[in-house]
Amino acid sequence: MIKYAAQRLLLALVTLLIITLICFVLIRMLPRAPLPPGDPHTAIIEAKREAMGYNKPYLVQFGIFVKNVVTEWDWGISDNTYKYGKDVAQLFAEKLPATMVVNLYSILLSIPIGIALGIWAALKKNKMTDHLISTLTMVVISVPSFIYAFLIQYFLSYKLDWFPFLMEGGDLFSWKVFWSMIPAVLSLSFGVIAGFTRGTRAELTEVLTSEFMLLARTKGLTKFQATVRHALKNCAVVIVPSIFGEFIGIMSGSLIIENIFAIPGVGSLYLDSINHRNYPIFTMMTVFYTAIGLVASVIVDISYGFIDPRIRMGSKK
Amino acid sequence: MSKKLISLLLVLVMLVGVFASCRKPDDGDDEGNEGTDTPTCSHTYTNGCDTTCNKCNAVREVAPCADENGDDLCDICGTNLACEHEWESVCDTTCDKCGSTREVPHEYDNDCDTTCNLCNAERTVGEHKDGAEGVYDAVCDVCGATIEIPDILSPEANAYTYNDAVVTLASNWNPHTYQVADDSYPISYITTGLYGFFFNESFDGYVIKPEMAAADPVDVTEAIKASHPNFNIPESETSGYAYKIALNPNAKWATGETITADDYIYSMQQLLNPEYLNYRATEYYAQNFSIAGAEEYANQGQTLFLENALNAGYEVADLVKDTNGNYTTPDGAPVYIAVDRPLEDWLGGNSLADYVGAYGAGYFNMSKWDSLYALVDDEGLVVLNDSTLDMLVTTISTEAWGEDASNAPSYFYYSKTYGDFDWDNVGIFKSGEFEITLVLAKSLAGFDLFYNLTGNWLVYEDYYEAGKHTDANGVYFNDYNTTLELTNSYGPYKMTQFQSDKFMVFERNENWFGYTDGKHTYVHPEDGETYDMYQTSRIYCQVVPERITRKLMFLKGRLMGFGLGSEDFEEYRNSDRTYVSPSETVFFLILNGHKDMIAEREKAENFDQTKNDLETMTLLSFRKAMAVTFDKEAMCTAVSPADSGGYGLFGEAYIYDPVNGLRYRDTVQAKKALCEFYSVDVEGDFEGDLDAAVESITGYDPETAKELFGQAYTEAIEAGYITDTDNNGKSDQTIEIVYAISTDSNFMTKLLDYMNEKLSEVTSGTPFENKIKFVKSAPLNTEWSNKLKGGEVDTVLGGWTGSALNPYSCTDLYTNPSYQYDAKWFNAATITKTLTIDGEEVTLNLKQWSDALNGATVTVTVGEGDAAVEKSYNFGDGKADVEVRLEILAMIEVAILGTYDYIPMLQEGSMALLSHQVYYVIEEYNSVMGRGGMTYMRYNYDDAEWAAFVASQGGTLRY
Repeated sequence: MIKYAAQRLLLALVTLLIITLICFVLIRMLPRAPLPPGDPHTAIIEAKREAMGYNKPYLVQFGIFVKNVVTEWDWGISDNTYKYGKDVAQLFAEKLPATMVVNLYSILLSIPIGIALGIWAALKKNKMTDHLISTLTMVVISVPSFIYAFLIQYFLSYKLDWFPFLMEGGDLFSWKVFWSMIPAVLSLSFGVIAGFTRGTRAELTEVLTSEFMLLARTKGLTKFQATVRHALKNCAVVIVPSIFGEFIGIMSGSLIIENIFAIPGVGSLYLDSINHRNYPIFTMMTVFYTAIGLVASVIVDISYGFIDPRIRMGSKK
Repeated sequence: MSKKLISLLLVLVMLVGVFASCRKPDDGDDEGNEGTDTPTCSHTYTNGCDTTCNKCNAVREVAPCADENGDDLCDICGTNLACEHEWESVCDTTCDKCGSTREVPHEYDNDCDTTCNLCNAERTVGEHKDGAEGVYDAVCDVCGATIEIPDILSPEANAYTYNDAVVTLASNWNPHTYQVADDSYPISYITTGLYGFFFNESFDGYVIKPEMAAADPVDVTEAIKASHPNFNIPESETSGYAYKIALNPNAKWATGETITADDYIYSMQQLLNPEYLNYRATEYYAQNFSIAGAEEYANQGQTLFLENALNAGYEVADLVKDTNGNYTTPDGAPVYIAVDRPLEDWLGGNSLADYVGAYGAGYFNMSKWDSLYALVDDEGLVVLNDSTLDMLVTTISTEAWGEDASNAPSYFYYSKTYGDFDWDNVGIFKSGEFEITLVLAKSLAGFDLFYNLTGNWLVYEDYYEAGKHTDANGVYFNDYNTTLELTNSYGPYKMTQFQSDKFMVFERNENWFGYTDGKHTYVHPEDGETYDMYQTSRIYCQVVPERITRKLMFLKGRLMGFGLGSEDFEEYRNSDRTYVSPSETVFFLILNGHKDMIAEREKAENFDQTKNDLETMTLLSFRKAMAVTFDKEAMCTAVSPADSGGYGLFGEAYIYDPVNGLRYRDTVQAKKALCEFYSVDVEGDFEGDLDAAVESITGYDPETAKELFGQAYTEAIEAGYITDTDNNGKSDQTIEIVYAISTDSNFMTKLLDYMNEKLSEVTSGTPFENKIKFVKSAPLNTEWSNKLKGGEVDTVLGGWTGSALNPYSCTDLYTNPSYQYDAKWFNAATITKTLTIDGEEVTLNLKQWSDALNGATVTVTVGEGDAAVEKSYNFGDGKADVEVRLEILAMIEVAILGTYDYIPMLQEGSMALLSHQVYYVIEEYNSVMGRGGMTYMRYNYDDAEWAAFVASQGGTLRY
């Protein structure tokens, strides 16, 4: 197992380097936004680009970038119109907490509700409750989250005046900010709840019809006991990795929801860095997300072995 | 293994414990720990009996109190020796029994703690502090307590909060480096220019008054020319080059320090520092406001490659050859051909190599291209000599590309190397504690001088120095005015809260001179009362990215304004809270007249000439018919309600006299020009009433359009453009006018549907019934203008945004091939016009009229043979009478409109709702003053009244 994990981590590192190189070069190959003819700032911008090393060969630039990151943890400074002069790593660190908090609340709300609804639907398979839950799940999954966002904003903030239109600024853990982020949390949660409900129901429905469940019942366990003690454990092989997946999503946030509720998170930072062709911010965020994606996939794979001891990763037998 | 590890850890823990227990109380530091003697402290004690140092708490041994005179009081310290003191608490300093005093300091956890740990006594402390090292996390940097951010919307009586919303919040409002309009948002609040615009007394124009300056600039050109020859003021010039500016001695930073001449000098030094490459440095040398030596100082040590067309504009004849036969500028700088380097001006940011690569032999003569390209250096340039010039001229001189040898200089680049330059030679210096002297490289006076001094370059030295840093490459950056901590104000407001990408708050800067100088008041034009400017006490600007959210918040009374989108026009356009603001742009229907390209397109294999035609479009009668086909006001209503009908070459916003704020469209010359173009008989139909005649112009005349389409049909048949094989009196061919779209959108669909519907109506009953239609091109992105200029597409609704304060400069857009959309089929140099100026008949071509109007001296030969004489004309600003200039401008307007290459359609505008909480002092929009902005904004309700008003309306407002 350790050897397998080491191999996966090494492979992930190589993958990270390759993806970083590709993104690094590709964004620099994009044509620059032209200045209006006769713009007197052209010479200054050119001189600044020269000083920043953007006229060097791409691979040389990449080498300098990797060296600065590895030796000084220096991800660069934003050097164009977008966030000019800001330390990129600091900028990212400032934005990440808001994204994480909102998404964390969403996950914490979604997991119990989603799994509970899934169990309920599975236990009531092919009955009215199951049909109702399954239909609602499909509807919710089919509708994009920004639709809920606008509906929630319209009814809860505009019509009922229960919540502010936007997430408040300030301490993320204050009551006022918590209250203001509820519409955003709800908007994010609908889809996640539906996802967990559908996954849990599908897996549990299959497990409940297994022979070992019949055996459990014949041993005298009640349906509840059999479900909790045996069926749910078997479902975990599928559900737990999906929870990991959702946690990874916490990091990347939701661009659209962040935009609607003016959450000062990383979603808009990433998109704006692309729109403004801001090399340092884009590169740093790409590396970060690639890294956590790769690490997450390794963790998920390894987690199978812990959840179900029958699964042995990397074993030849 | 694990047992060994645990054992090892236990041993380590024990060793650490033993070591710790063996340490002496005094570890030798200077922290003044209790029970230690600190050698570096110069101990002080309250009296001779005091055993504890007041500075470091060091304890000393002294003789016990002694009472030799028998009064029960210590002879040294006065303590009552007979008393068994009683203290109310460990911190009590006065004995309850004898009144003796002692010194006992309270103990607090930190600077924010208000309660003594020993006696629970309360104390008053300052506010929590946040923002150390620029990190604002709403957590106190001292005690870690959560800082509650005040609820901005909590209504207060006598508070006037302006609630604003932006899509993108400013992140860099450093006056030396900001680049985009979003970043300039705070600047208007936290800074003040040397001079400022204000409404005049009647509120129908504006005046310019000193703000950070104490008086108008004093021209000292003669004196400076004599005393400072290093500034190279031309000997012949006697004014407009040097000014003394007295500074306002009452101007202060928000932190209280007085602003002196030193601040201005320091700030300019930083702005122009060549190592900093500040984006805004060019504002002070690259345009008409040019401080002497600023360019040389800011660029010293650099070699810049300058685009010939954008800078000196050398012709080949202007250049000289060096010993190698290579061309140089008269200054000796090498000249190059930009073969593989973008040409911003001539090729719109593309390079010649891009075009040759894309179009090849179809457009260029390729016979010498490879030879030329082989000489390209790392910069994408080729050294200019006779050989390379010949290669260039050969390549571009084709009919398809439409250029010849005369265009070659547009591809030239020249280098300029800046040597060391001393600050003393930069034309700004301190001439008094509150006085600076500006020396300019180019003369500037009057309105233009004031206008350029309405901004400011001041920075606060302490914060500016603190904000300096470099990246890994050693490139300089500055965090000044990017965080709350490093922001200082000298304007009417100061920034008091800021969260990146979330919100910023400004409150009145009580140190601003304008609140107390008695000059920032005005008499309301309607009620006659005198009011202070800047009634707004707080500005809360938050990020609201989504338009629909902004609308809902506005209807809840939480925003002060809401910009209407097309979907809102129907509902709100008639609201009395809706304000329309015109902009400079007039949108024209630009019609293709490139006959060669049209002929080429018709020859294409996929073009069926029996069913389609393009050439008819080039007939003047056809173009005239198109010009009167569309009811422009109705078109605005249907397609873009914020706009209004466009009728002339210049819109409503252009001001020809900036000093007095007079609009070009209000002049007699401009009105006559419109009447002439639209063939309105002022004398016959309106008894000489010019205003009534102009009012009658709609640009829409379906009957005339039908006649003109009939005439166009006849001419097209005669010219063989179209046929009528079945002799039914109708064209066999359909004229499909290809509309250039950059990207497709609902607006485009709506626009073309509307125009096709109107065309169908107007052509009904004519030979072109259902035979003319607009069709969309493929999405062309940024290429749409090149395609239009090349005649590859036929029309677009496009226009220019010129300088609102200089309509004269706009004539260049229609007569200079570098800018013209119709340069390939209209040459302004071939159209001559005669005007009588000061009794003399002056005949020039349109290009010459335009150049002369914009300050160039145009020389022409008048007469023939022996009678021929050369005459020079210059009708630039200050060179000709304003009335003359207006007459020339109006003449050019009529001439350009008469080409029917540009058919005026829409005058661009924007429409916005204004909250009931506020009102504008003046309803009419002024191109310079707008409606007064924050300076003149008045409130119907303070914040508390407003909250009550919104509640009384059920929480949702109607507009």
